[in-house]
Amino acid sequence: MSQPALLLAFDAVLLATLLALALAAVLSPEPRRAVMLFIAFGLWLSLVWARLHAPDVALAEAAIGAGLGGALMLAAARRAARAARSNDDEAAG
Amino acid sequence: MPEMLLAIALVLLLTMSVGLVRVVIGPTPPDRMMAAQLLGTSGIATLLLLSQALGVPALLDVALIFALLAAVSVAAFTRRRAGADQA
Amino acid sequence: MDHLLDIAAALCIALGAGFFIAGTAGLLRLPDLFSRLHALTKADNLGLGLIMLGLILYAPEPFYAAKLLLLWVLVMVSGATGSHLIAKRALRGDGEDMHGEGMQ
Repeated sequence: MSQPALLLAFDAVLLATLLALALAAVLSPEPRRAVMLFIAFGLWLSLVWARLHAPDVALAEAAIGAGLGGALMLAAARRAARAARSNDDEAAG
Repeated sequence: MPEMLLAIALVLLLTMSVGLVRVVIGPTPPDRMMAAQLLGTSGIATLLLLSQALGVPALLDVALIFALLAAVSVAAFTRRRAGADQA
Repeated sequence: MDHLLDIAAALCIALGAGFFIAGTAGLLRLPDLFSRLHALTKADNLGLGLIMLGLILYAPEPFYAAKLLLLWVLVMVSGATGSHLIAKRALRGDGEDMHGEGMQ
């Protein structure tokens, strides 16, 4: 295969998976799973930026979007799950 | 030779997309985290191959950040709540 | 000579990609969490190491090689620590996130 054809295939796979990931993250019913998918989505988006010859944006996306944001959202999802659980306990007894 | 690097990068991207299935279906949270870790490592390899094939040396730094990101998210995931042990 | 080096580099990179494919297959097909973890660490360390070795052979340049080696060491350390943490939490079932209701 020639180089343009390979690049086109690369872009097609990248885009299709990016869209699928975004949909899966948004439609996921459970917060922790959604956060995990969001981390994967950030990783993928950063690959897209890298492919677009924008390493600086890819850096920012990987560090802030997926790394810091993912860690903070994991903590938030955990806290939300705990709050929901204690609410249930109060309602039950 | 750049064609070959791109082809291998495409293969790695495909294995990453297949590995995503485990993130989506993974029965327990540790499964999802493991799959995310493999995703990060394959992402590093893909970035390295892309940096050589496209001639963008700065992508190496992005790969370094990916490695850091994996460590941070695993630490955030396996963290225990402070004070949970004493109770 | 250059030709030989190119062939060695291509071989290393292809072998590394093979490790990644094997790791992904293991992640999908193996029955329980710990065997999946085992498959994953092989792909992590050896696959990435072989690809980096191939890239170093492809463009032999001291600074580039040093940076790649640094990256590899970082991935090995964080990968080993992370896998150990995940396995320990899953084994003892005492992580907050592990089985949802694992805390008391």
